Amino acid sequence: MQTKSTRTRVQRGETLKALTPRQARLVEAIAGRILPSTDTPGAIEAGALYYIDRALAGVYRSLLPHYRRGLRAIEKHAKAKFSASFLKLSENEQDAVLSALEAGQVEELSQGDEFFELLRSHVLEGVFGEPSHCGNRDLIGWRLVGFPGQQYGYPDPYIDKVVDLEPVACDGPPKKPAEA
Amino acid sequence: MSASIADICLVGVGAVGGILAKQLATAGLKVVAFERGPAIKREDYAGLDSISFIARPNTLEWVKNEPRIFRTNPKEPGAIRHGTSPFNALGGALLLWTGQASRFMPGDFKVYSNEVATGAAERAGIDLSDYDVVDWPIGYDDLEPYYERFEWEFGVSGASGMNPFAGPRRKPYPLPPLRTNAKMELFGAACRRLGYHPFNGPAAVLSEPYRPPPPYDTRMPERPACVYCGHCNHYGCHVSAKASTLYTAIPVALETGNVDLRANCKVASITTDDKGVATGVKYFDAQGGLQEQRARVVILSAFVFDNVRLLLLSKTGEKRFRNGLANSSGLVGKCFFGHGDMRIYGLFDDHIINAFIGPGSATMRIDDFNGNNFDHTGLGFIRGGTMGASGDGTPISRMDVVPPGMRSWGREYKEYFARYYTRTFDIHMAPETLPRRDNRVDLDPRRRDPWGLPLPRVTFAFHENEKRMHRFLAGIAEGILHEAGASKVWTELPRPAPTRQCGGTRMGSDPRKSVVNEYCQTHDVPNLFIVGSSVFPTMSGYPATATIAALAYRTAEYITRQRDWFR
Repeated sequence: MQTKSTRTRVQRGETLKALTPRQARLVEAIAGRILPSTDTPGAIEAGALYYIDRALAGVYRSLLPHYRRGLRAIEKHAKAKFSASFLKLSENEQDAVLSALEAGQVEELSQGDEFFELLRSHVLEGVFGEPSHCGNRDLIGWRLVGFPGQQYGYPDPYIDKVVDLEPVACDGPPKKPAEA
Repeated sequence: MSASIADICLVGVGAVGGILAKQLATAGLKVVAFERGPAIKREDYAGLDSISFIARPNTLEWVKNEPRIFRTNPKEPGAIRHGTSPFNALGGALLLWTGQASRFMPGDFKVYSNEVATGAAERAGIDLSDYDVVDWPIGYDDLEPYYERFEWEFGVSGASGMNPFAGPRRKPYPLPPLRTNAKMELFGAACRRLGYHPFNGPAAVLSEPYRPPPPYDTRMPERPACVYCGHCNHYGCHVSAKASTLYTAIPVALETGNVDLRANCKVASITTDDKGVATGVKYFDAQGGLQEQRARVVILSAFVFDNVRLLLLSKTGEKRFRNGLANSSGLVGKCFFGHGDMRIYGLFDDHIINAFIGPGSATMRIDDFNGNNFDHTGLGFIRGGTMGASGDGTPISRMDVVPPGMRSWGREYKEYFARYYTRTFDIHMAPETLPRRDNRVDLDPRRRDPWGLPLPRVTFAFHENEKRMHRFLAGIAEGILHEAGASKVWTELPRPAPTRQCGGTRMGSDPRKSVVNEYCQTHDVPNLFIVGSSVFPTMSGYPATATIAALAYRTAEYITRQRDWFR
């Protein structure tokens, strides 16, 4: 199901800028385990993959070799442990691979724990960051946790109250509500 | 002006440099002001962009070029670290600060007299023989008028008289406190029940539209009130309610016509003549060409790292400057310190807190455990820190805040973050660190910045006094969060690197034991001044900004009185 969703997105014309299609499918599958889709959307729907791809083509350019090496090691490890590509594993098996990586116990990669932390941070940045960086689509991340986004300000301190504002995103400094 | 001799060469135009430029240029002195970063614009800093400012600050143009080396063990080479102080742009780190604008307390200037000479340290049960604790050569009363000028020119919101531990003040804060939010309410109520003394911490964030009245500098522009967007710490203020010299003192300075601002110009060394007098600076211009500017007075107003680095880089073959300029004491770079920032987190099932709503500068605080405000007998340490309700931030700032034992990804993490992002706040504190000579800044032997200058290298560790203090203060803060009704509480002790760095060009009256005198003038080179937190002989449990601003006003006044220097 995760591969299918990747295919749809790639076919939708969102061209990759740094990752190969195969690497992209892996990153997306990993993102789906780091912040899974449950009764609410997760990292896949938020487009964390596209956040990461754009960043790897830009300011995170120097990290691209780490991604290549790390993703290769994850695939090798999946094949060694479960005789299949990471993409074909069950959720539990995928989690087992990622847990091993997190613990630095993927022998195919030295400092795998650091690569896991990099992946985890980047996926969450792709979910909870500003949509101007290509992630957090439909403000999925902000809706999930109850953050109303790049508001100009808050006329009410919302003490012991749910903030009932529609989340907003903007590119550049926020405009005064009257000017918007 | 460039070919001639300027009255003043100013190295760094941030908080300190902005104030100095305004005061000196207003007195009619011709100032050449060097800023190694760009003249940053509102569009560059006011975007409320947590990816750029929180997740990847190292990639910002204003951060990436000036890293430092950090190590705790002097036998190791150390690792490259970036920080937003120094912030290499016009206006400096005041663009990104939270606005905490407390004055130091009177006792902060007299730690040796109050706590070492009296035997208080001994009674506390701490051996301070590896530390180098001294008094400041000046006291709170010397700085009081200048604190006042800072508060009234930049607009500080606060509740005068509410903090029983604060020093006496001639005038109240110019503005009432900022609006109360949920974390301030919960923290304040819990502290009152515990018998502590919560107060609205002063913030250089406007609670009402403001322009300084006479007799203060009425040329400062009027600015609007805070809108409580919550993007304070690490962000530029999109309404300019948070004080920064970029849109206050610097434009006023430029308006005088006496300031030649050279942005994107990086000073490489201070030049001296054979009499040991400073003659100006050498600098890289925006195209990278090495240029020289002569001046009657040179003022270092960069951050700690560059103040020290420039002195060390400006050594000459001459005996007295062999170990660096103004370093006859051997203390340049020594007695470096900073806060050991700690956070104590609380999750609340019974309250919705929405901690992302401003004000963001920990504006409900207690000083019951700051400085020498409490009895340390038998506690094993001296000094302490202020603490306050904090925990502001977008989800990007908070996504790594996970209780111990919980996996920071997966379904459980998602459910946890979805539930508690709006139901958490933390107590932030910045406990004081005592000075030691082995905590220091020098030049890295190998690694260089983009201009080819050696990177500053920090060697620093927290020692027994700090470690015991951190544990004690964590216990107090955990108690407050429990009292406030938190269902889960945990502590994050300081990371190895200190924050809000100070020291390295210590102030004192004895030239053998300090680098500058009470007017921030170097003992060895009379026309060389260093202004900023690098001159602090001891620090405080507070951020440094109000105090460095006060020192800048006081130093400017001293320099402008030396009329014969500029004839």
